[in-house]
Amino acid sequence: MTPDCKEIRKSILLASQKSGHGHIPTCFSIVEILYAVYSTMKHDPSNPKLEDRDMFILSKGHGSLGLYCVLAKFGYFKPERVHAFGGFQSDFGCHVDRLKVPGVEASTGSLGHGIGIATGIALAFKIKNSKRRVFAIIGDGESNEGSVWEAMLVAVDRKLDNLTVIYDNNQSQLRSLQIKNPAAHFEGFGCAVTQVNGHDVNALKNELLKKADTVKIIIADTVKGYGCKTFIENQYSWHRRPPNEAEYEQLIKELG
Amino acid sequence: MRKQFSLTVADLAAKDDRIVVILGDISVFLFNDFKEKFPNRFFNLGICENAIIGAAAGLSSQGFIPFVHTIAPFFVDRSYEHLKLDACYNQFPINIVTCGASFDYAWDGPSHHCYGDLATLRLLPGMQVFQPGSPKEIDALIRSQYNIGKSNYFRLADKPHDLNISIESGKALILQDKNADATIMTAGPLIANVLEACRDLNVNIVYFNTIKPIDKAVVSQFKHTRILVIHDAFGFYEAVSEIPNLNIAYHGLPADTFLCSYGSVPQIRKLIGLDSEGIRNTVLRTFGDKLQELPSIKNAL
Repeated sequence: MTPDCKEIRKSILLASQKSGHGHIPTCFSIVEILYAVYSTMKHDPSNPKLEDRDMFILSKGHGSLGLYCVLAKFGYFKPERVHAFGGFQSDFGCHVDRLKVPGVEASTGSLGHGIGIATGIALAFKIKNSKRRVFAIIGDGESNEGSVWEAMLVAVDRKLDNLTVIYDNNQSQLRSLQIKNPAAHFEGFGCAVTQVNGHDVNALKNELLKKADTVKIIIADTVKGYGCKTFIENQYSWHRRPPNEAEYEQLIKELG
Repeated sequence: MRKQFSLTVADLAAKDDRIVVILGDISVFLFNDFKEKFPNRFFNLGICENAIIGAAAGLSSQGFIPFVHTIAPFFVDRSYEHLKLDACYNQFPINIVTCGASFDYAWDGPSHHCYGDLATLRLLPGMQVFQPGSPKEIDALIRSQYNIGKSNYFRLADKPHDLNISIESGKALILQDKNADATIMTAGPLIANVLEACRDLNVNIVYFNTIKPIDKAVVSQFKHTRILVIHDAFGFYEAVSEIPNLNIAYHGLPADTFLCSYGSVPQIRKLIGLDSEGIRNTVLRTFGDKLQELPSIKNAL
């Protein structure tokens, strides 16, 4: 784990402990992905509406706290603001709101929506002959939703090579509808698919920089709660639960 | 009306390069000209309504003005959450144009009916709802509303009225004011049946093609009268009823049942009492000495 990604995880824990909210394990699984995306794409934290910026959509909207802490790390706002996470009149809801948080491009939450919007943005860039790119993270659980696959049909049909979708393969659906071989599914739809260790920032960056001739899918193999043994061993009980003070100290220790 | 929709959008697109058209694989032949003139702003994305609404929202986020088009139940019923979140909550406005609402596809049965579109869509913040009754009305409504920064729902009808009436966009039109103490309010093509049924009766008649925002001022002009809403969908009556202190009743679709009879639009209208004869009988009965219960027609459906 890189020092930056460790620091982001600590800020996620702190915000969750202070606010009493948070889907921490699912946020921990996407820290490196988010970090790699924001390290790769064109954006300007001091000017979130930069005209020719690339765009990122968090389709798995319940990873909001992870996104907030990464945006804070990159300088969009001070990390302390996120401590109001989920609180009354806070800008930082448990699902992201594009009208409240700088750097958030689409309000998401209900699963299977952000990916359709991302497809439309990529299509808009094509119409405008723009070189701008679109990145989106979808979850493996989210991919139970049919709308994800509808969006893939459209993205492939329109050869949206400016759209890169990172599939957070954190095995969240082991107890229900698991997609056992996601790469084969996306390949079957005609996407350009690669698979990497989703906690290896350099590997992710390399994949994000590669060109493809159609929509690119990066299957990022991740671990829910990565970095904390407590989360990994008790995923379901920690799905949506903030740590108390003692648990927070323990989790910080586990992160090392 | 569908042809007028395509002509109006093509005309606007020639002057406004933000306009894009997305079809759900219907009315394709009507957009051949549009496709030829604006190939990079025409998309027949197929039968994937959820993806269409999402993509339209994404296009809207980048400054385009999308028109999306398919059959009413597929956008409204299937993709309601996408309309709610992708377009309305995100404030990425789009124009939704449907055909086949109410029982326009009477022969196809309930899978292709949509009586609830006006009722459910008017609940979405930022969504305007229109039921034009004629090609002239859809032309005027699209031109006046398509780029005002809100999502718009335009419900096309297979059988428009052929009345020579002019209604200002967003307003209600008093077609008959007899200073009577009884008023009929209706919307969309059914106005033709209402006029045929009631022209010689001592009732006021008010016509709407904008369901949201409803013209409260005109409704309020008739609040001292007894009002009967005659309509072939849900939502219009509810919109009028929200204006306080009205003495109001509804004649139209039976509650809590599917229309399972096949046939034509006139046949279904007759079945549920929305043909001219049925409307006249209901109006005479309703505005008798007291407001009477309508006879149940559930058994006939």
